Amino acid sequence: MEGALDCETDNISRTMTEEEPFMKKMLSVLLAAMLMMSLLAVPALAEGQVLTVVTWDTTTTPYLIAQKEAFEASHPGVTIEYVDAGTGNEYEVKVNTLLSGGDTSDVIMLKENDQVVKWQSQGFAAPLTDYIADYDMSGFVGIEKNYAIDGVQYGIPFRSDFWVLFYNKDLFEAAGVDLPTNDMTWDQYAELAKKMTDKEKDIYGTHYHTWLSTVANWAVCDGKYTLADGTYDNLLYFYKLYQDLEDYGACMTYADLKASGLKYAAAFENGNVAMLPMGYWLVSTLINDIKAGNASLNWGIVAVPHADGVAAGSSFGNMTGAMINAKSEQKDLAWEYISWLGGPEGAKATASVGARPAWVSEEIADAMAAVDGFPADDNSKAALLPVSVAMEWPVGEKVPDIKTIVNEEHSLIMAREVTPEEGIEEMNERVAELLK
Amino acid sequence: MSQAEVRKGRYKMGRLEKKNTLIAYSFLAPNFIGFAVFTLIPVICAVALSLFEWGGGDISRLKFVGLDNYATIFAAKKVAEKGIGYFFGRADLGIALKNTAFYTVVTVPLTIVCALALAMLLNKIRGAVFFRTVFFFPYVSSMVAICVCWSFMLMRNGPVNQFIMALGIDFNKGWTADSTMAIWSIILVSVWRNMGYYMVLYLAALQGIPRELTEAATVDGANKWQQFLHVTLPQLKPTTFFVSVMMVISCFKIYDVVAIMTEGGPGRATKMLVTYIYDEAFVKNRYGQASAISMVLLVIVLAITIIQFSSEKKFSND
Amino acid sequence: METSVHGREIRKDNPVLRRILRVIIWILLIALAVFTLIPFFWMISSSLKLDREVFAFPMRWIPETYHWENYSLIWERVPLLTYFKNTAFIAVMVTLLQTLTSSFAAYAFAKLNFRGRDVLFLCYIGTIAVPWQAYMLPQFIMMRSMGLYDTLWAMVVLQAFSAFGVFLMRQFYRSIPTELCEAARLDGLSEYGIWARIMLPLSKAAIATLVIFTFVNTWNDYMGPMIYLTRDMNKTIQVGLRRFIQQYSSDYHLIMAASLCSLVPVSVVFLCLQRYFIEGIATSGLKG
Repeated sequence: MEGALDCETDNISRTMTEEEPFMKKMLSVLLAAMLMMSLLAVPALAEGQVLTVVTWDTTTTPYLIAQKEAFEASHPGVTIEYVDAGTGNEYEVKVNTLLSGGDTSDVIMLKENDQVVKWQSQGFAAPLTDYIADYDMSGFVGIEKNYAIDGVQYGIPFRSDFWVLFYNKDLFEAAGVDLPTNDMTWDQYAELAKKMTDKEKDIYGTHYHTWLSTVANWAVCDGKYTLADGTYDNLLYFYKLYQDLEDYGACMTYADLKASGLKYAAAFENGNVAMLPMGYWLVSTLINDIKAGNASLNWGIVAVPHADGVAAGSSFGNMTGAMINAKSEQKDLAWEYISWLGGPEGAKATASVGARPAWVSEEIADAMAAVDGFPADDNSKAALLPVSVAMEWPVGEKVPDIKTIVNEEHSLIMAREVTPEEGIEEMNERVAELLK
Repeated sequence: MSQAEVRKGRYKMGRLEKKNTLIAYSFLAPNFIGFAVFTLIPVICAVALSLFEWGGGDISRLKFVGLDNYATIFAAKKVAEKGIGYFFGRADLGIALKNTAFYTVVTVPLTIVCALALAMLLNKIRGAVFFRTVFFFPYVSSMVAICVCWSFMLMRNGPVNQFIMALGIDFNKGWTADSTMAIWSIILVSVWRNMGYYMVLYLAALQGIPRELTEAATVDGANKWQQFLHVTLPQLKPTTFFVSVMMVISCFKIYDVVAIMTEGGPGRATKMLVTYIYDEAFVKNRYGQASAISMVLLVIVLAITIIQFSSEKKFSND
Repeated sequence: METSVHGREIRKDNPVLRRILRVIIWILLIALAVFTLIPFFWMISSSLKLDREVFAFPMRWIPETYHWENYSLIWERVPLLTYFKNTAFIAVMVTLLQTLTSSFAAYAFAKLNFRGRDVLFLCYIGTIAVPWQAYMLPQFIMMRSMGLYDTLWAMVVLQAFSAFGVFLMRQFYRSIPTELCEAARLDGLSEYGIWARIMLPLSKAAIATLVIFTFVNTWNDYMGPMIYLTRDMNKTIQVGLRRFIQQYSSDYHLIMAASLCSLVPVSVVFLCLQRYFIEGIATSGLKG
């Protein structure tokens, strides 16, 4: 303190000239740095029309590459330029920031169902009313309604992943057990999982990834119940089923998986897991990994098991789509792109790499089954057309809050910190408080 | 000293003081201009934002709501109805505050003690270069890789538990999936990662202690411990002030480790203030509420800083 | 000369006890070092495994077969070299600006008295306390309107003027005896002269610390570049690392390999600068 006071008494007539050498050095370094900076010029834009599409994992997602190639081939003079906006949850953070900053990219891809609601409410989504009047949406079998708000369409789906049951044919054949079928009940499935478990050979009957959807989401398959209804008693059966399997040793424990971060694809490809309920996206991963020589196993898919009173072949899923940025300066071209993307032509491009397009038809199912590396048996092909697909989560204002609560309690149940009954009661209470 | 006082009296006010202030400003300007434009103004915007409802998008969508955001995060209605116990027992903010405070109270002293001990040990010793580098390594490496490593180390049958079992303690649970141990795994990783960082700070500060002082103490017959207590520690006070303020702040802002290792779970066992802010801002698009939570954090940190700040002044006025 | 006498004096008083103490300290240090390094050992071993082996039960410390090709794969899969260049550019620029401006400003905070000093200083600390997540959006909107979005310059100006450096340097300057300033003033040096000729040389250790911290923090920053840099030619190493983590699959073996590579430059910076922690500088000027 005292020192600071004393400094006040300094004679200020002296100037910086005394310290010239040091300052000069610093300044010259700075100037050199500035020069370097100016060399980083913006690259020249490609000629012709360029459509910018904001999406994720652009260089590594096979269907994005296939779609770009197919669209550019059928639309000469148009170039698709992907804007890579991160991966995982960061996609939403980054897109939100970009759009709030006034970004003028033409098309924004929708990763989660509720993104269209969020971005529409912020004024980022262009309404598609004028365009869809003569656009055929029959192939979407109704899922496009998730992108409509108050009767106005804001997005077009182009991918729809529903859940199927993957199984390892080699393990079933080695154990001499009949393969899973397309119309198993959950009880039959649990029995099968126990039957396939072989502790001596370190073989697990089934595998549950750590998500809520792998264990509890099955309750929505009936198409009536949703996870935003506010009551969670329907989940009890599935938690009990899971804990029974975990106790038996028919699957790896949640705590271990959570800590180790073991990926479901790796778990399945390691070859000691007989069954795996998972989203359809795993198909293209498996095909690619086996082609690349990173894994070798014979696998197949069947419809996910069904609860009593629910039709066999009912599943749930998620969709991926695209919307037009309200600030885009070439909305017509953007519409040309997203309508193509969702329609049969785009669907073929999407299906060609093993991804599951939103447009469903026999023709597309044939195309999916014809992908090199897809299992050749009839059951696997039949599983491509589910009877019904419920949405994993409905869309609504309070849904993000409900999601947080249900996931928090889910993790407690799964880590055995509380019993399923206690956890479900907590879900009921907390969501009720929120909805009040 | 007396000379200075005389001069000070002579020029007490007036032009010279103004010129001195100008000199001070000329020192500040290069940093302050950048700081004001790129940090201070956005921060002030965030303070204001806590009084608005905003989901992002055009600025025209800002809606003034007064203190509503604060009422929401403090669960004002419920607390009025059910008492303060509700806030700390069930409200997200209360739980996040509790977890963050616990984490801070444990981590700050633990890290400081470890860092100071390491710095003292490595101050003048052969092979110090090697050890210093080793202990600084965790801080240098990328967060994802580190957290993934540690999650694996702390698994149910991972190496850490194997070590504990070898000591004869029966512990057979995965740390990150256990309600009580999860926060300790965060603490462990934080201390492990940051002790090298603060060790470096202390090492640098130790170089600044005039050797005359320690020598004088030795001559006076003080042993090493007394020397440490009465010479080294007081000399390190400015650094300790810096370290403790920075640590309190960074502990209150803990995010990455939690996001990668436990995602706030299981349940809400490791939900922290910033994980909560992140969730409100980027998952639920409630920027106003996120700002309001940040203000709670700001007030707490400023309060702690001012206390530490004034004690620093007392010290230097002695 | 003085020190050697002083050292001998201490060693004289109890040689056996001292030796035992020294051995204990060494054992302790080695144990701690092993504890610190274990995760890195696992990192190295994972970087040489196949993707699916990384998390396989039971864990293996030594890979079955060594997959050295992982280290060439990372350079092929993503333009890692570009990322390295960008990160190096940002880190060097930030460190330069940060060290220069904050050591300058810190002098005013530590050794000068002026109106509003304490309030201003609290402002600086206050901004450290606000989490970036809270003001990221206003900041982004502003930066974008300045045309800085998706330029490396954005990352430079965002980090170069942080309050951290000012705070750190202020604390170090405070521990430098004020008598030194006074003496210099009596000798006729201006404040700028005092800063350049006395404070800077005396705070070598502090500057080395600041350089290391700034460099490391900038090098490892993830969220900033993630939001502000979009084109591939502008991305940084930490953003590049996450490109191995994708929606439905992540390649942890490659992440480990790339993280280890990204460790090299920062370690070099640390090794180059750490000699300043050993070089005693404190006795140099007090006599004045």
